[in-house]
Amino acid sequence: MTERASDTVRIAVVGHTNTGKTSLLRTLLRDTGFGEVSSRPSTTRHVEGARLIVDGEVLVELYDTPGMEDPIALLELIEGFVSSDGGRLDGPARIVRFLDSPEAATRFEQEAKVLRQLLASDAAFYVVDARDPLLAKHRDELAVLGSCGRPLLPVLNFVSDPAANESVWREALARLGLHAVVRFDTVAPERDAEPRLYSALATLLERHRPALDRLVASHAREAAARHAAALRLIADLLIDVAACRRQVPGKAPADIQAAVGDLNGRVRAREQACVDALLALYGFGSSDLDATQLPLIDGRWEDDLFHPETLRVLGIRIGSGAAAGAAAGVGIDLMVGGITLGAAAALGALIGGGWQTLRHAGDRLLGKVTGRMELTVNDAILRLLALRQLYLLSALEARGHAAPRPIGQFADASSALREGSLPDALKRARAHPSWSGLFGDVPRASDRQVAVDALAGELEQA
Amino acid sequence: MSAILRLCFVRQPEALLNHPRPPQTSGFDARWLAEAVRLRETASGALEDADAVRAARTRANDTEQRVLIRAALLGEREGLAQAIAAWQPRARLFLLVLAVIALLSGFGAALAVLGDGSRPVNVVWALGGLLGVHLFSLLLWLLSLWQGGRDAGGALGQAWLWLSTRLGGDQNGQVAAALAALLGRAGLTRWWLGTVTHGLWLLALLGALAGLLVTLAARRYGFVWETTILPAEAFIRFIQGLGWLPAQFGFAVPDASAVHAAGSGVAASEDARLAWASWLIGSVVIYGLMVRLLLWLLCVTLYLKGRRGLRLDLGLPGYAVLAARLAPSSERIGVTDAAPGVLPHTPIDKAHGVSGHEALLLGLELRSDPAWPPALPPGARNAGIIDTREQRRNILAQLASAPPRRLLITCDPRLSPDRGSLEFIAELSHHAGECRVWLPRLLADGDPERRSHWRESLRESGLDTRAVFEDDAAALAWLGRGHD
Repeated sequence: MTERASDTVRIAVVGHTNTGKTSLLRTLLRDTGFGEVSSRPSTTRHVEGARLIVDGEVLVELYDTPGMEDPIALLELIEGFVSSDGGRLDGPARIVRFLDSPEAATRFEQEAKVLRQLLASDAAFYVVDARDPLLAKHRDELAVLGSCGRPLLPVLNFVSDPAANESVWREALARLGLHAVVRFDTVAPERDAEPRLYSALATLLERHRPALDRLVASHAREAAARHAAALRLIADLLIDVAACRRQVPGKAPADIQAAVGDLNGRVRAREQACVDALLALYGFGSSDLDATQLPLIDGRWEDDLFHPETLRVLGIRIGSGAAAGAAAGVGIDLMVGGITLGAAAALGALIGGGWQTLRHAGDRLLGKVTGRMELTVNDAILRLLALRQLYLLSALEARGHAAPRPIGQFADASSALREGSLPDALKRARAHPSWSGLFGDVPRASDRQVAVDALAGELEQA
Repeated sequence: MSAILRLCFVRQPEALLNHPRPPQTSGFDARWLAEAVRLRETASGALEDADAVRAARTRANDTEQRVLIRAALLGEREGLAQAIAAWQPRARLFLLVLAVIALLSGFGAALAVLGDGSRPVNVVWALGGLLGVHLFSLLLWLLSLWQGGRDAGGALGQAWLWLSTRLGGDQNGQVAAALAALLGRAGLTRWWLGTVTHGLWLLALLGALAGLLVTLAARRYGFVWETTILPAEAFIRFIQGLGWLPAQFGFAVPDASAVHAAGSGVAASEDARLAWASWLIGSVVIYGLMVRLLLWLLCVTLYLKGRRGLRLDLGLPGYAVLAARLAPSSERIGVTDAAPGVLPHTPIDKAHGVSGHEALLLGLELRSDPAWPPALPPGARNAGIIDTREQRRNILAQLASAPPRRLLITCDPRLSPDRGSLEFIAELSHHAGECRVWLPRLLADGDPERRSHWRESLRESGLDTRAVFEDDAAALAWLGRGHD
């Protein structure tokens, strides 16, 4: 039910072969499945379009075009065209003549598609691989494209590559009269790359500025909403894990072992669910993971959550007393302080009328009397979970939808969570076993939602 | 009573009449269902929803509407809509049972407090018995409001919710959880459960009032008060102070002499008996019924008002993921200009029937590099770097007039091969006795993949791997070969 407004901005994405035109589209569309991307030249040989929609209205249409491959010969051909009386033809007239010529259907068919699309568009992004030197063929290409009489906005791709010659390109483009040039690395776009791209485009297409501004504002809103939702996902995971308390059904070591194994398994599965949700939120489906390997194998973390080495790598210190438990990742709470926690919870239940809480407090007191053991997931694992998910989030946010290579290991994830005290909301969750959804119950206390939102806020600061 | 019941479940009347009803896509029930679907998906993974998403995208423009339509379709399929429909009569039944219990216990309390008339009624104990628990629970409710717990709503409301959640299947628990989550996030739980709590207390106090009226009408009671340490003045002030507010609504207050009389023995006068009964009824009505009625109205008003303004929190993770699919910010148009079949290309000749004398080295689109040109073997000449159209024309003219015996074309392996370069290489190859391509290693290394693209493209153009040098020494040796 999307309507196509009559003044939709049409933009052709053009450039030399293998400069990342389709990648640019993927990143702008946030669509990992658009077109076909490979490192091979001339992968795209057709024209394919996509729409950018805001509030159900199509604001921008982007068209991916084949690469220009033989601009030197093409310019030579086009410059040869003269009017019927032998006089000079202007640029667009020559292009129209070319499109009618037999060469446009044979040798230069691919280039003809580009030029036809450019004539039908309001402007073009001229994608440049900034690692390449500026050659005569690029100049000729710009001359041909410039003949179409449409504004060109050069987009420098692969600028974060050490081999990029950004200044050389900028200077050369300025000499050709192209002063508005935008950096846009399709693999790892800078945070403000997209708004800069559209605002530079707006300077070339003044009439469409309101639509482009709307697009930028809408994308900023969406990005903020995604970020907030991601933090809530992470907070939800942490609350589920922090709040979980399991009583060991027996006292034999085998019983404890089995209960610890079960708890570990559930925490792993819960973390995986969070990873899946984050990937889905950021538009990286698990089927796209071949192309977007994070430090994940098929969407799963490479390192096991409960392996001591994983903790060591992240620099999370394990308290000496908890070392044995920490290897298993589970603290065994012998109910020291169970009384105070239970009493506090009971009082809260009385005041707030929380039946769940009252029941759990009762269970705990019963456990205290019968001498049963209770399992909780310890702080080190909570820290690890938080760090891993925040790292994944920052990697996803910095990642273009065209990135072909894996991102390196944890660079340096936020250190505030590595040491120091855990966020308040997590400590509170420890006293509310009913908040945990780890064992399949749907936690329904709305105090839990308050805690999740508070924790999401604290993670934002971290 | 039925008004109370109905207000706890305000629904569209037509929804009750038409059964089976079409999936609702607006109003409170639709949002409740959406929340239930969200919780289900959070707990047990995403549901298969391709059809539902398609339907939602064609039927509405607004993101929330689309979420609701999808939830309506999925909820119907998964049985959640039915669970919601089933939850309501059950919850209503429990509420009815609780309401009857409240009425009866209020009535019974009044009978127990007044006794069988064989003994005079102690007014203070009677009032305490009628209003004490009510005032205590009211205090707890106020405390819970002040404490700010969002689940607060009074013990009776919680008990009702617990009952209607527990007694029922798995799905029942899920829809109840969804309702609690939806209302809890909107801060409506306290008003929602408050409606139930105050409603039940209202009924209990109505029962008590009925019990009072029945027993006072059918029996003759004497009223006394007793004290060991307090002066009579204190009682007079207490009775009259308490009676002041009911007096404003027309209830009688025993005068000082009647209070005195009741303190010293059985009140004999008929007027005093009437005044005491009126005072007792007035206190129950004003401090019990009226208070609960006002609070009930307050809760109902706030609840209904909040419910009307209730929207899904689309920032919740479940909805945020959905929104991206239901209202995508981009959509594909598809291929608008299909790929050409086969582009004609000129094959590169490895060896040609041209016999020249020279061995020529030529750089195609090389950037300036300190390693270029390398030291050439004797007899070989460097023809320079060819980049522009003019340079291309010149070198072609040169080769045409004096074809070399060997031509070594050097390409930059850091660039991508393109059709233009390959065509030009083919054209050059026609003017040389033998032609080879060199992808030098001595230039700074770039992307290894591009090197292999060159090899592949050259092979497709007719140059097999043996005619493409990657070993620098071999390339230069080939150029110098045959020169003695």
